[in-house]
Amino acid sequence: MSIKATSTDGFPTSTSRSQAETESVLLEHLPDPASSAATPVLQKNAHMQFLIRNLVQGFPTRYISQDASQPWLLFWTLQAFSVLQVALDPGNKQRCLEKIMAWQHPDGGFGGGPGQAAHLLPTYAAICALAIVGRPGPGGGWDEVDRKKMYAFFLSLKQKDGSFLVAHHSEVDVRGIYCLLTVATMLDILTPELVDGTAAFIASCQTYEGGFASASHPPFPVSGSVLPPPAPRPPLGEAHGGYTFCALASWVLLRPYMEQTAEPKPEIDLKNLMRWLVHMQGTEIELGGFKGRTNKLVDGCYAWWCGGAFALLEALGLGGIQNADSDEVPVDSGVAAGVWDDVDESLFNRNALQEYILYAGQHPAGGLRDKPPKNADAYHTLYCLSGLSSAQHHIYPSRVRKSQVLEAWEPSGWSLLYVPNENARKVAFAELLSWTEEEGGSHIVGGKANRLNATHPLTNLTITHTEALTAHYYAQKVPERIRTAPKADPAA
Amino acid sequence: MPSKAAADTPLFAEREEWADVQPLEQYEGVNPIAPIFYSPEYKDATGYFRAIVQAGEKSARVLELTENIIRQNPAHYSAWCYRYETLLALLPPPAEDADAGAQPDIPPLLAAELALMDELAVTFLKTYQVWHHRRLLVPLARQPRRELAFIQRGLAVDAKNYHTWSYRQWLLAACYGRGAAADPAMPDAVLDEAAGVWAGELDFVDAALAQDVRNNSAWHHRFFVVYGARGQADSEAERARIFRRELIYTKQNIAIAPSNPSAWNYLRGVLRETNTPFAAVQDFARLYAYPHSADETRDVVDLDNPAPGADAELPCVQAMEFLADAWETEAGAEMWKSLANEHDTIRRQYWEHRIRDAHQTIKPAVE
Repeated sequence: MSIKATSTDGFPTSTSRSQAETESVLLEHLPDPASSAATPVLQKNAHMQFLIRNLVQGFPTRYISQDASQPWLLFWTLQAFSVLQVALDPGNKQRCLEKIMAWQHPDGGFGGGPGQAAHLLPTYAAICALAIVGRPGPGGGWDEVDRKKMYAFFLSLKQKDGSFLVAHHSEVDVRGIYCLLTVATMLDILTPELVDGTAAFIASCQTYEGGFASASHPPFPVSGSVLPPPAPRPPLGEAHGGYTFCALASWVLLRPYMEQTAEPKPEIDLKNLMRWLVHMQGTEIELGGFKGRTNKLVDGCYAWWCGGAFALLEALGLGGIQNADSDEVPVDSGVAAGVWDDVDESLFNRNALQEYILYAGQHPAGGLRDKPPKNADAYHTLYCLSGLSSAQHHIYPSRVRKSQVLEAWEPSGWSLLYVPNENARKVAFAELLSWTEEEGGSHIVGGKANRLNATHPLTNLTITHTEALTAHYYAQKVPERIRTAPKADPAA
Repeated sequence: MPSKAAADTPLFAEREEWADVQPLEQYEGVNPIAPIFYSPEYKDATGYFRAIVQAGEKSARVLELTENIIRQNPAHYSAWCYRYETLLALLPPPAEDADAGAQPDIPPLLAAELALMDELAVTFLKTYQVWHHRRLLVPLARQPRRELAFIQRGLAVDAKNYHTWSYRQWLLAACYGRGAAADPAMPDAVLDEAAGVWAGELDFVDAALAQDVRNNSAWHHRFFVVYGARGQADSEAERARIFRRELIYTKQNIAIAPSNPSAWNYLRGVLRETNTPFAAVQDFARLYAYPHSADETRDVVDLDNPAPGADAELPCVQAMEFLADAWETEAGAEMWKSLANEHDTIRRQYWEHRIRDAHQTIKPAVE
């Protein structure tokens, strides 16, 4: 295969110049196919040492810039351990728990550190960290989350256009909405009132390119009332990988409630979205990594934000073996094991993405990164690993599993003040738990030793952690997964 | 990173005017796992900040304290937020007899804040909070022209900064969009300059694309200005004029550097927005979708369809995709195959999906 540089058409500009520099650096990281390095190795031990150093010794002074993101630093570290198939010992778990609970704000939600204002982003990170290290019962964290106050905090951020501020006096953006919806879904505090108008807001963030922007401008003045339709709601900012993941995941999480809403139902252009996502993958000379915007550079973190978004498209009927035919292939029953070898229904190049992370994303001293020659950091370590994991495994929303969860549903009271829509509540629970790893559907570049744990495409927690936390708050039992055939070898 | 200003000033703990405040530890009685190694200056200032927040104090010294923290960590959103609340508490209330359409007076405190923001936004260009704080100040000062000029300076430093561009778009929509006219507090002077501002934005995009025709942020801004912010023009003649203008503008920019996905995406966007079939532009795309031919002649210049230059690397992948999408027929499938097998192999599976999808006429779509 010849490796072609990106065309400049004899007309260099600053974009094409930095592109060319990046391509020459990346090309140096592509081994000679004849050498032994042609089988890439995920340096699990080096990455583990990097994470342990952060957790035990702490973060150097330059991390002061992340002092308002302490829940994120912990979540990135803990979840990276989970993806690497490592669990913490009870003593360290307890120390994590104590730290997390110090971030809960007296008026609901979690802040970026003790004494900081509650904010949607650290609230997501704190709840996810709790999913990993917490447990039910006294001192376990899960029962010390004040869900009533959190719900009140969420409602206090709601805007007339269906969006949410990320914190009081702060900006609106779809990252916050993703964080809110993920937490509200897992904690059983999702209500029609909370999400009224939110799907229409998400839809308004889609740009002409197909991806999503950070926010849209509301159809009303800074001071004054809502304008009559069709007042424009233009996206603010261009299509972007991080916002696209958040918007798409929000869209998927809102579906149980969208069916209840009045006409006209908001719509997104799925085909244009798919096209945009597909085009975010860099070519061979970019080692198949993903970029976050048109004409920008590849970056390891978009392995998750863009690469991971393909699993979400499957929930909407695009891509995946189960969508290729009108009859669902019961892949989780083991019958279809190995099918993927013959018909790879994924819409992007999974192998190339794995190669980007393995060849360019790993820092030689441990930890993962944006691209060489950059340093590793906690953020890129998680999102490179999660992206690599999502490229290794095929996780899809199984209709079989969904109906199994629905059948096992036990009516459970909610102790909160709000009135949920019982049917939507049940469907939201079942859909979150319907995500299933296709048996025999894994393709692991570099072989079995590089295998990572699968992550839940909506929460970016493991499926086990997602299910345990969610079932706790809904007071449900997670039905055992049915396996009618012997488990297939996960490493193809 | 401690800033110079923070290092030169004494710690709050050493200052007499702060002696009445007892700083608050971050983690009481907990030896936290995964600690950040704070500098003494940062630890000092944030300790006092936690105490001030707990006491609910909103005085002039809080502005100094929050500025100190922001300079050390511009992402400290709680410091920004508390600063804004303090500012609101300290600013004089708007005069009751003020004319609704008049430009408000700028009190000295607000003027000082605006000046500080000009400095901080350049220093901390990539931080969400610096841009959001500016946004909060706009309804207080109502001087959007000043902001537009400031943003231009910011983009000169970082031409693709997401926050800077989206702030510009917010400002335009909020102060010059349809909503602005319905905003009783919007000064008449601002409303009067709207037409000129929107026209100026097209020049602004031109200048940005002349610098770098591949700057996708500038292309997106053009779409925002032409279609997004105000919707389509009311009269059909005006809509047709704008459509022709956008089409020729995009084609000319494609001719300069054909393999530019930003420009092709813009072309697609314009066609979709105006419900124009892609096939309407196929003559243009054809010029780019095949290798240079030996008998290329430049005798006849088709102004509607500017041709690629001699340096253009053809075939251009974006032109091939465009034609295939325009056709969605056997000929389109051939184009997709050529992309899958030769010209854009990384996306082979997507091109194959398109071929299957186009052929799938009988099977109903799965929900």
